[in-house]
Amino acid sequence: MRVMVVDDHPMWRDGVARDLAEAGYEVVAAVGEGGQALRVAVAVRPELVVLDLRLPDLSGVEVARRLAACEPQPRVLVLSASGEQEDVLEAVKAGASGYLLKSASKAEFLDAVRRTAEGDAVFTPGLAGLVLGEYRRLAAQQTPADGPRLTERETEVLRLVAKGLSYRHIAERLVLSHRTVQNHVQNTLNKLQLHNRVELVRYAIERGLDES
Amino acid sequence: MTGIEGPFWRVIAVFRVASLVYAAVLLLRAGGYAHPATGWLVIGFMALWTAAMIFAYSYREFRGWPLLVADMLVTLGCLLATPLVQGAYQPGSLPITGTWMGGAVLAWGVYGGRRVGAVAALIVSLADLWLHDLRGPGVQFETLPINGTVLLFLAGVLVGHVARLARQAETRLQRAIEIEAAGRERDRIARDIHDSVLQVLALVQRRGQEIGGEAAELGRLAGEQEAALRELVRLRPEPPSAGDADLRTLLQVYGSASVTVSVPATPLTLPAAAAGEMAAAVGAALDNVARHCGPHAPAWVFAESDGGVITVTVRDEGPGIPEGRLEEAAATGRLGVAQSIKGRIADLGGTVTVLSAQGEGTEIEMSVPAPRAAD
Repeated sequence: MRVMVVDDHPMWRDGVARDLAEAGYEVVAAVGEGGQALRVAVAVRPELVVLDLRLPDLSGVEVARRLAACEPQPRVLVLSASGEQEDVLEAVKAGASGYLLKSASKAEFLDAVRRTAEGDAVFTPGLAGLVLGEYRRLAAQQTPADGPRLTERETEVLRLVAKGLSYRHIAERLVLSHRTVQNHVQNTLNKLQLHNRVELVRYAIERGLDES
Repeated sequence: MTGIEGPFWRVIAVFRVASLVYAAVLLLRAGGYAHPATGWLVIGFMALWTAAMIFAYSYREFRGWPLLVADMLVTLGCLLATPLVQGAYQPGSLPITGTWMGGAVLAWGVYGGRRVGAVAALIVSLADLWLHDLRGPGVQFETLPINGTVLLFLAGVLVGHVARLARQAETRLQRAIEIEAAGRERDRIARDIHDSVLQVLALVQRRGQEIGGEAAELGRLAGEQEAALRELVRLRPEPPSAGDADLRTLLQVYGSASVTVSVPATPLTLPAAAAGEMAAAVGAALDNVARHCGPHAPAWVFAESDGGVITVTVRDEGPGIPEGRLEEAAATGRLGVAQSIKGRIADLGGTVTVLSAQGEGTEIEMSVPAPRAAD
């Protein structure tokens, strides 16, 4: 698994790269700037990007958005400080599949990397709260016809994740299989990202930007 | 001249000069009235006083009651000199000062607001009406020249009102500029701290956890300081929007190595007092978790908004509350924490649900109605 680390703080970046290397990942690049990250990504074709949201040049959200357009599209795990909810939500809508606080332990971090690498969404309670909030914001808007909606079961699962229950506990409480819980969570994210792409395309067409 | 008042005083100066010219023209047209020499004397004095007032009012330190009273007395003096100039009363004629007497009324209004402007208008009008009464056919409602009185009142009150509004706008603008400057400075500090201190604290926390033992405790402390410092640099003075507060800001302060706070990306707007009460209730619930499950027991705070209701859930994975304990405590008069939380939330028109079973932790769910936020 080829991994790229993007973080502007050298000490942090090196620590993360070392942890990944020790866990058996191939760290193909470790860079400190967004623009540099995008250029390097084209050359080294990482399969997974560990991305700090706060970068000196481009915003992490912008980097996540442009990485999503790369071929092959790398999976993106966002590392962020607390209190950057809007940016985290935007990055996840743009295609990032997980979000972890920087204060997470090494074990939590490696677990999140492993799950991202496997293609699963890394749903921390914080991310569940953000995604649920976004669905409710969309539902409260005046044009609900084409917006994505959560099923009752998905809402139920997301609320439990936001309250800090593990998938195992959620499965027990709702009498579901662990895999079903995982699928529900993954679905909520997929629908949101799809909606975001549709919105972007619609916006581009309205502005006539699709000609190039 | 500084600030928003300057233009007002300049406009009054223009008014005084224009009125002076008008008064001179009136005198000229009337052929000097009965006593031209006295007339031109009064006009000359008015010209001198106009120059003096334009000079005096242009300096902030001269503006004040002594100047305003002197201005009013001189204006009244000129007005009351009218009989000496005009001789026998002619119906419909203006006094020797013409509209010049409005200058003092405007000055009072700009200085003190609409009430002071009204008082000045009253003083000048009474003098004017007294002149008519003295020289004219006596007090008769039909012949009283109330036009001038009405105009004086309108000018004094309106100009006073507008001047006060302008001053308030200036104060607000000043405050907004200060807040903006403070926000920029805070952003700069936040960037600096983010780039250095916070990264190091986070690193200490991670490495400490990996090393374990005493280092883990140090790491945990570093983590809590990191969270607290991050909140400190992140919190910004919200622009005061009619006493509303964002509940998220208040809740995120509780976040630590053991407490996870989950909120939406859009504000949870409540009246400031209600938000404070709700945050205090959450704090009480977290204190309760620390007391019953240990100071570092994990807890989760989850805030959401749905259909005009804001709900905050505090959850722990402690031993839970045995069935009937709450009722028992209430029955024996020992009102537990849950009861005090219920009290706070009930005062806000909300409800509290406690979900707990022995061995399965406790969930305290607090819901309050929220004013519909503009999306």
